[in-house]
Amino acid sequence: MIEIEHLTKRYGKKTAVNDLTFTVKPGAVTGFLGPNGAGKSTTMRTIMGLDAPTAGIARVNGKHYSDFRAPLTEVGALLEAKSVHSGRSAYKHLLALAHTHGIPKRRVREVLDTVGLTEVAGKRVGGFSLGMGQRLGIAVALLGDPAVLILDEPVNGLDPDGVRWIRELLKGLAAEGRTVFLSSHLMSELAQTAEHLIVIGQGKLLADTTVDAFVNSRGASVRVVSPESAKLAETLQGPGITVTSPESGVLLIEGTEAAVVGEAAAAHGVVLHELRAEHASLEDVFMEITAGTVEYHQSQEGVAAK
Amino acid sequence: MTAATMTDSPAIFTPRSEYKLSGIGLLRSEWTKFWSLRSSWIVLLCAAVFAAGIGLAVAATYSNVGDQGSIPADLRAEAALGTTMFGVALSSMFVAVLGVLAITGEYSTGSIRSTMSAAPKRLSVLWAKAAVFGAVVIVMYTAMVFVTFFAANALLSGTDLAGVSLGDENVVRALFGYVAMVAYLGLLGLGIGAILRNSAGSIGFYVGVIMILPNLATLLPWNWVSDVVPYTPGNVVNSIAYIDTSGLDLSYGESWLWMGIWLLVTYGLAAFMLKRRDV
Ligand SMILES: Nc1ncnc2c1ncn2[C@@H]1O[C@H](COP(=O)(O)OP(=O)(O)O)[C@@H](O)[C@H]1O
Ligand SMILES: [Mg+2]
Repeated sequence: MIEIEHLTKRYGKKTAVNDLTFTVKPGAVTGFLGPNGAGKSTTMRTIMGLDAPTAGIARVNGKHYSDFRAPLTEVGALLEAKSVHSGRSAYKHLLALAHTHGIPKRRVREVLDTVGLTEVAGKRVGGFSLGMGQRLGIAVALLGDPAVLILDEPVNGLDPDGVRWIRELLKGLAAEGRTVFLSSHLMSELAQTAEHLIVIGQGKLLADTTVDAFVNSRGASVRVVSPESAKLAETLQGPGITVTSPESGVLLIEGTEAAVVGEAAAAHGVVLHELRAEHASLEDVFMEITAGTVEYHQSQEGVAAK
Repeated sequence: MTAATMTDSPAIFTPRSEYKLSGIGLLRSEWTKFWSLRSSWIVLLCAAVFAAGIGLAVAATYSNVGDQGSIPADLRAEAALGTTMFGVALSSMFVAVLGVLAITGEYSTGSIRSTMSAAPKRLSVLWAKAAVFGAVVIVMYTAMVFVTFFAANALLSGTDLAGVSLGDENVVRALFGYVAMVAYLGLLGLGIGAILRNSAGSIGFYVGVIMILPNLATLLPWNWVSDVVPYTPGNVVNSIAYIDTSGLDLSYGESWLWMGIWLLVTYGLAAFMLKRRDV
């Protein structure tokens, strides 16, 4: 369980996190979503006691992280890809961390195996690819077999196989009753992994909800492909219903359900080639909700530069 | 919460209880870190070899000033050590830089985040790092200083510096003085690195402000400057490697006292900053 209460963090004049309050519960994967610069990494560093809050509290299982007698068994973190000395081998990096808690070499080899780095364990980390660096970071996080996992953009740099692997891994860890908290600036990365979602923008909480509810919150629409689309459009007119045609022969109908559209088509003898209920894509919802909070709008920046 | 929702949610995972953060663990961790970076132990080895090499080269090429036995025993020991241990003070620069890098390397590579996540109270990391680094330097330099002493003695036989023995007054004390000098300067470098966190800045500070500035300052036309300069962090070591300290600014004991004071000041500040600042 991670509890964030009225957390604020300022760096000089810059407010990175602004009065943030939320709870991350065990037994589920919770996604931490926000555009770049939203304050995700800052929040995570604060939980780990690396950055001190300007105001507010970050607690893990009721305690400040620094008050644990065996911190690595309470929280495992992947904070940024670069948290390793480039001149050291993956094995020695893990071993040095393991020694602090009296964790045996057997466990070091175990986590190296879990993340698939056994073969390159003796190589200097400086020569690792981004994906290998991420895997090592995950091995570090798993080292103490912790109850809480905090992963900052863990998918970064992983190939599609790696992405699938980490998804299964995290779901498995959550199923064991652990708290799993992972950040991303891409909704698509979280959609298939997380059940719960914390969305922030410019350091402020925008949503604290389930992934399903988050998607459904932005009304569903029905997509129809029909050679008689114009005729169907006419029959569907009604209060609260909007019909648009993104391309000829295709209709997007908002404000009603697929069943209603299908029945209307049958009643008027309209031929349908396709009838599908569509949820707004998560990316759309995310863009909509964070539109006001993105730090840099490319178009504006372009204009301002001239 | 109702009983139904309690049973629906999976059992909460309990962490293992056999793993614990400990001081011994941190020492082992820093030990592993030191020896697993090729750059660190190679530089230290080079420093020791360099110091020994200079001493032996000087001893081998030393040309007789007088006959064997022409210098009184106490002056002879002083002169012999001054000659053969000449490289030790020079090599302290490598050790100090290594001390700096032992901590700034963690900041520049980001490994400090892993380190401080494992030991979030932070200070114990600083103590463990300094203890391991200091111990490695002391062991390596003790071996080097004694090997050099005996080898140089052999090379000096037949000259007026021959025949110095460990049993002569204060010879052992002076040899350990050389070891302490290097360990002190290395630890000073580590402390400065912990305060400034930046490799180039810390090395620049050590060389410029600790080593060069006070000695340049003696050129200033005020007498009090010359009175103060022997007490600056880079100069307080000067008395501990002498056999006879009677003519020096600081006595043998004062040298130790001031080394302790400066380490306390440096590590006090380093600890304060480490607790206060974000990692
Ligand atoms: N150490 C720091 N010093 C100054 N500004 C920082 C620091 N860390 C983060 N910031 C600023 O705080 C904001 C949030 O950053 P961050 O937490 O990294 O966001 P995210 O991880 O969501 O991309 C950004 O504007 C960033 O520039
Ligand atoms: Mg980030």
